[in-house]
Amino acid sequence: MLFLISKRVLVAFATVLVVIVLSGLLIHVVPGDPVTAMMAQSVSATPEVMAEMRARLGLDLPVWQQVMLYLTHVLQGDLGTTIRGNEPVLRLLMQRVPNTFALAVSGLGLALAIGIPLGFLAAVNRGRMVDTVVMFIAVLGVSIPAFWLGLIMIQVFALKLHWLPVAGSNWRNILLPALTLGLTYCALVARMTRSALVDVLEEDYIRTARAKGLREHEVLLVHALRPALISIVTVVGLVFAYLLGGQVIVENVFSWNGIGRLAVQAMLERDYPMIQGFIVVFATSVVIVSMLIDILYSFLDPRMRQK
Amino acid sequence: MKQHRLSKHICGLLAAAAFGTGLSLSVAAAADLIVARAVDADSLDPDKTSTTQSLQMTNLIYDTLVTMGEDGTVHPGIASEWSMSEDGKTYSFTIRDGVKCHDGSTFDAAAAKARVDRAVDPATVNPDRSLWGPITGTSVEGKVLKVSMSEPYSPFMSFLTGIQAGFVCPSSFAAAEFKPIGTGPFKFVSWTRNDSLQLQSNADYKNFNPLIENPGKPHIDQLTFKVIPEAVARMAALRSGEADLVEPSLEETADLKSDSNFKVYAAELSGQQVLAAFSWKIKPLDNPDIRKAIGMAMNRDAYANIAFEGLVHTSNCPVAPKLFSTDEALCATWGVKYDPDGAKAIMEAAGYTADKPLKIRLLAHKLSGWDQMHQIMQQDLAAINVQAEIETREVAAHFDHMSSENKRTDGEPFVWTMGMSGVDPDYLNFLWKRPGFVEMGLNEQVDAMLDEQRRLSGDARAAKIHDIEKYLMENSYTMPLLSPGWNWLMASNAKVEGFKLGFMVSLLFNDVTLKQ
Amino acid sequence: MSISTEISLRRRGLPLGVLLGLGLAIFIIAAALLSNYLAPFDPTRMAAGPRLAAPSSAHWFGTDEFGRDLFSRVLVGGRLSLGIGIFAVVSGLVIGGLMGLIAAFSGRAVEAVLLRLIDVLYSFPDTLIALALVAFLGPGIENATLAIAISLVPFYARVTYGLAAAERAKPYIEAARLAGIRTGRLVRVHVMPNIGQSLIVMGTLGFSSAILSAAGLSFLGLGVQPPSPEWGAILASGRNYINKAPWILIFPGVAICVTVLSFNLIGDSLRDLVDPRRKGRP
Repeated sequence: MLFLISKRVLVAFATVLVVIVLSGLLIHVVPGDPVTAMMAQSVSATPEVMAEMRARLGLDLPVWQQVMLYLTHVLQGDLGTTIRGNEPVLRLLMQRVPNTFALAVSGLGLALAIGIPLGFLAAVNRGRMVDTVVMFIAVLGVSIPAFWLGLIMIQVFALKLHWLPVAGSNWRNILLPALTLGLTYCALVARMTRSALVDVLEEDYIRTARAKGLREHEVLLVHALRPALISIVTVVGLVFAYLLGGQVIVENVFSWNGIGRLAVQAMLERDYPMIQGFIVVFATSVVIVSMLIDILYSFLDPRMRQK
Repeated sequence: MKQHRLSKHICGLLAAAAFGTGLSLSVAAAADLIVARAVDADSLDPDKTSTTQSLQMTNLIYDTLVTMGEDGTVHPGIASEWSMSEDGKTYSFTIRDGVKCHDGSTFDAAAAKARVDRAVDPATVNPDRSLWGPITGTSVEGKVLKVSMSEPYSPFMSFLTGIQAGFVCPSSFAAAEFKPIGTGPFKFVSWTRNDSLQLQSNADYKNFNPLIENPGKPHIDQLTFKVIPEAVARMAALRSGEADLVEPSLEETADLKSDSNFKVYAAELSGQQVLAAFSWKIKPLDNPDIRKAIGMAMNRDAYANIAFEGLVHTSNCPVAPKLFSTDEALCATWGVKYDPDGAKAIMEAAGYTADKPLKIRLLAHKLSGWDQMHQIMQQDLAAINVQAEIETREVAAHFDHMSSENKRTDGEPFVWTMGMSGVDPDYLNFLWKRPGFVEMGLNEQVDAMLDEQRRLSGDARAAKIHDIEKYLMENSYTMPLLSPGWNWLMASNAKVEGFKLGFMVSLLFNDVTLKQ
Repeated sequence: MSISTEISLRRRGLPLGVLLGLGLAIFIIAAALLSNYLAPFDPTRMAAGPRLAAPSSAHWFGTDEFGRDLFSRVLVGGRLSLGIGIFAVVSGLVIGGLMGLIAAFSGRAVEAVLLRLIDVLYSFPDTLIALALVAFLGPGIENATLAIAISLVPFYARVTYGLAAAERAKPYIEAARLAGIRTGRLVRVHVMPNIGQSLIVMGTLGFSSAILSAAGLSFLGLGVQPPSPEWGAILASGRNYINKAPWILIFPGVAICVTVLSFNLIGDSLRDLVDPRRKGRP
């Protein structure tokens, strides 16, 4: 057991190292020069100033040295400062983590609130018209481009009805972006709920429960939905991890100050320390989470333990 | 801290869920103004940034040593008097008594010296360092700051009036981390990047800018800048009253103009110039006649009236209108006229026909109005047997790409567009003197003329600048298109009174009052 | 595996959703293929009508800010959007499939690290990956397609790995190994035919997400270059007319929805039949 855990930790550590080195190499793989890009709006920046800037960023060192330097800095918890604005990368990331987290939680919450009842309804009426219509609605949600839906919601809820504010990262502003995400991801939740329930409803113990004369809603809510929820939780984990990466387009449309906008802006401005920092932090957290899940699984599943 | 913010969000979420959609909008108190812009500042340190969006903010926090009147004349600012030595190499500025920084410290000649020293210190890595000129040293004599130069630098005084030359207080760069402390009309309160910037009026403020009427403290108390990247959302914020003043979308500005519920402001003193340039090192664009033909095909009136919805003017000079020496009528005599038939004849004589067109790329960066302009341009060029493929990038990527493209001497030829702005025609130096901005420098002859104008002043300098402009245009190295071209529009609701746009699209809030 | 699919297909009959999806998809593909003949105007021709004209009998979907015919643009744009989707899915499937097979059939160390990397890549939102690639590669339809293809790679790699790993555990593989058949041949001759059908079904699902990504990239101004009438690009340049000329926003948006919906309906229903995770689960 201990051996297995230490092996998982080792693999995770190796992956993180690979990610750091890869993102350290990033600057040298992609075409273009970060300093020229940074000075894009500085008509007056002279070659001397550009050279000083390159030196300050360590871009005049050999590639392997730069990558080693980056690696040692990151291992000491220093992700550097942004090229634009000279701000510590870690601070900027941490400023936005709560926003992204809040949007992910509320988007997911709405997806569940819409998706589970839809899936339930479809499963109970499997093969009937209700099933088709419900699943059609769910799939429609995932088929609408988020930016389009977002623009229309701003127009309707903020401008025409005056119900909700247009933009910002306050709690009052979360509803529209969360609703957009909820409508997008409810299809996934609905489909998962439906198929899990359909499977459970075919189990012997459900038949037994029915045969014993339990009322139908009792059978469905107590005996069927609860086991089905377990497989829904798996999907929830997946969607949540995905949402934590930031929802670039939704964040842009609703001016939500999340991780996605930060990452994309850094990419467009070629702010390499910021891009690298984003990749390292995000990838590391994913690796850690999936390592923990692996270890957890091996505790829960005796077959995995024996392997 | 993090935990706290997080829980606030979650509570908020619960509250939002509990109250459903019965939320009302925040109604700003009488003396608070909310402004929404598309892009946030990079930095509030004027020595670390040069984007218009950043300088619009720094200009509210920091004052300048001198200011500029509508006619381009220099007026007092933090300095009450100034003089230049006979040889043009030494400037003296008398710093006003009783100028106070936002943190209460006094801004005197020593503070001014520290600020200039920082701007030109190589350790600062100031992208605008070259704009300060060839400064060799600074000294203080009583209330007087003396700046010495290795050679005459005639754009110096205009530069000092500009938003790039904000005078930060020494206390702002005393510690390792920069603190935005100045002497300007607004004090810094807080800033969440890409979200909102909060400023507060400076009760001790005394104004010397001739574009502003209010002699003292701004009338509004709180000034909030929000970042709303999506134009549709920004316009919705203006219409719903969530913001008082916004950067409007070009497409809707014409409608706002005719709506009495809104006001539209366009910067008259933007100092902005939009121009097209050519890969003159690559065949066949190395031939000035081909470049001329391409210029003749460009229907600038259509760009101004259709692409920019009639909100900009065509402009004739390589330097923006209303700047020192700019003479639109004179430039018109050097440039080409719109003449698609004549242009087509030139192209056909050179062997480019409808079946065998000249293939070029049209390199541009993304910006509203510009995207539409390039599509019309593409059709204009098609009419003279030039098949142009549009390639648009984000600003940073575009100029990064241009600096490698402009080095090329063979391969596919291209036409590209750019915009620049400033308060002095000296910006020609940064563009056309080798190596030049993104490697666009030309040749020895141009370099010499550009150096020469810096040493001259008055009419002699104007004449030299005209020579340079004439050379650029007669050889078709550039095709002036429009002015202004970016960030020059603002729109507000009818409550806002007294808002003004200054030089280089600076935002002037000193005179703003809110009608109830 | 192919037997069980057939049985379940026959038993349930084709679900209504699939029928609807198929009908819509055939209609959309036909319209896109014939767009050159059906379009009443050249989609890039300016001043084909008045500027920002509302839908009428002359211009069914109205006109845009240059007076271009929107109906023609949406029709021809369909060909672009579908083309991007197909290219992206096929190349993403090939690259991702290879990665998944390599992970499943090479040594344990390679498998462990490759899987972790695929996991890490998979966790990055695909829009973000595509955006990053386009930001570095430069704009244009080719680069956008490539970027979307690569953004699909982690998904396909994971799916292929899952299918291949399940196949690997079957007794015939061990038998073949014992018979001395090399891994390369084993994969080509035995594994691929068995998992191919499932991969194709997963392909249709990737297709709709590819179309959405393409539209998103264009919306952010990084995809197809003007004046090409890709749907996302029409939306992007027309979005500020939302008050003045909403038809510029409505028609291409509906076109995207209907297309994505049709492929989602097909893919979703078929997925349940072939999803390896759905088999052998309680």
